[in-house]
Amino acid sequence: MNAVEIKGLTKNFGPKQAVSGLNMTVPAGAIYGFIGENGSGKSTTEKMICGLILPSGGSIKLYGKDYTDADVRARVGVLIEAPGCFPNMSVWNNMMLQASNLGIKNSETEVQKVLKMVRMEGAAGNKYKNCSLGMKQRIGIAMALLGDPVLLVLDEPLNGLDADGMRIMREVLTDITKDGKHTVIVSSHLLGELQKIATHYGIIRHGKMLCEMTAEELDANCRTYVALQTKDMNRTKALLACKYSRVEEDEAGYLRVYDAKSPEEIVTYLYENGMLINEIKTDKIGLEEYYIDLMNGGSSSAPAKQSHFPSKSKEER
Amino acid sequence: MENTMKFEHKTFGKKLKTMLAVDFRRMFKSPIFYIMIGVALVIPALILVMTTMMDGTVSVDPTTGAETVMEGFDNVWQSIGSVSGESSEMSMDLTSMCNINMMYFLAAVLICIFIADDFRSGYAKNLFTVRANKADYVISKTLIGFVGGAAMLIAYFVGTMLGGAISGLPFALGALTVGNIVMCMLAKVFLMLVFVAIFVLVSVATKQKLWASIIGSLGASMLLFTMIPMMTPLNSSIMNVMMCLIGGVLFSIGLGAVSKMILSKTSLV
Repeated sequence: MNAVEIKGLTKNFGPKQAVSGLNMTVPAGAIYGFIGENGSGKSTTEKMICGLILPSGGSIKLYGKDYTDADVRARVGVLIEAPGCFPNMSVWNNMMLQASNLGIKNSETEVQKVLKMVRMEGAAGNKYKNCSLGMKQRIGIAMALLGDPVLLVLDEPLNGLDADGMRIMREVLTDITKDGKHTVIVSSHLLGELQKIATHYGIIRHGKMLCEMTAEELDANCRTYVALQTKDMNRTKALLACKYSRVEEDEAGYLRVYDAKSPEEIVTYLYENGMLINEIKTDKIGLEEYYIDLMNGGSSSAPAKQSHFPSKSKEER
Repeated sequence: MENTMKFEHKTFGKKLKTMLAVDFRRMFKSPIFYIMIGVALVIPALILVMTTMMDGTVSVDPTTGAETVMEGFDNVWQSIGSVSGESSEMSMDLTSMCNINMMYFLAAVLICIFIADDFRSGYAKNLFTVRANKADYVISKTLIGFVGGAAMLIAYFVGTMLGGAISGLPFALGALTVGNIVMCMLAKVFLMLVFVAIFVLVSVATKQKLWASIIGSLGASMLLFTMIPMMTPLNSSIMNVMMCLIGGVLFSIGLGAVSKMILSKTSLV
């Protein structure tokens, strides 16, 4: 079953088309990494899923029902841009307010539980306006988790989080999706962090879905390369460039060869040319590089195609 | 994994109940509500004491030499309203302007701040994500506004009694009865519903733009201001109360439906 199914979604702001015929499928139980440049239409799409802005065209279905269905919407948790909290109220009171809104019976226990999940139980008495950006993000996540939502829509939840905060966030998101019933749509520019948790990806550009893929498909799409270091990198690069079509130096000071059949082939070739290798390894490009390459229309990734995911839970996969 | 997911159906009444609980909780925890009540309590006392002190003082225009005699209230009840028929002859002097009817303006400010806060803080995002039906929001805000406005009217009444006692103004009812005063207050309370429905409509239309909602609401109040003494004179009867109640209910339903439509048909952030 798909948690979210979007077909031909369009949103116009005056003459500007923010989202243009977008198709998107988020299987239930997935952590869906929603990626795109600034202004590509991610937040607009997320706001439309949450019913905060009205689509100009197309359809949105949540768990097979129209997105306006009140019963489904009551089980959606959201963190878009910033948590909706009253600055002069304490964290606890803001949380209790949302718990009352959701009609949660044991609201105090539930609020304590979600604050504990994001390690914010110690800051419950603080006024919201006195919280740091990272704390506010965690409060926003806690608020979104109230009422056991089946669908969580998180827009840049990792913004402002320190390393520990990011780890906590990863743990929370992977924990809640373990049962296969909870689904998370998360957009972030921190692609390295996203890659650690996402089971599915959707890449949006200029309001259109460029491609959708599972983590496995991304893994298959990301090309392997051989990275090496020698004493004379310039000469090595020149030598390799004679044989291989794509040789690049990366930020870590390694030479990357994308179209080598094996490391042994390179070792032999360089040895024959009198060059000794200090270090050699094979690796794969990450999501970040894949994404940048895709945006630039590059070739380090295999050609991406629009895929429709099978409706499988993580256990089944 | 199962192919369908079952979602609990919550009745409209249940949803409205939670919304009302939240809004009442918010209002009674909000400093602005108590500030407004405080203002409503202090204003009549100040007005009555000051006008009594200034009563009969003469000011002379230095250019024309014309003399103006300052006239204060003759009795405490004038601060609540005027007797039917008097208002049409009255000029826009102190006694016709500085009375309980000012509370309708104050209620406008309270409601506009209350609703604009929902949108400015982002609370509306949390709220409308889980609430597809906007009717409970409109009903809840209307009822909260009504209770807040009624509380201000009562606070003003209490302030008037205190101010009257401090300034030594007579409490003589004359041709009026206690019943008339009670009916007058009830009519004013129910008339508040008409104004609250307008304020809620303006506020949901302007959303986070607080300045626009306050200007719009105050403008609408000014247009209807002259209606208040006509509908709720000091010698009000049950007819006045009924008219204000029916008018309030009709306005709340009609404008509430428009407010709901605005929320349903426009973007919420």
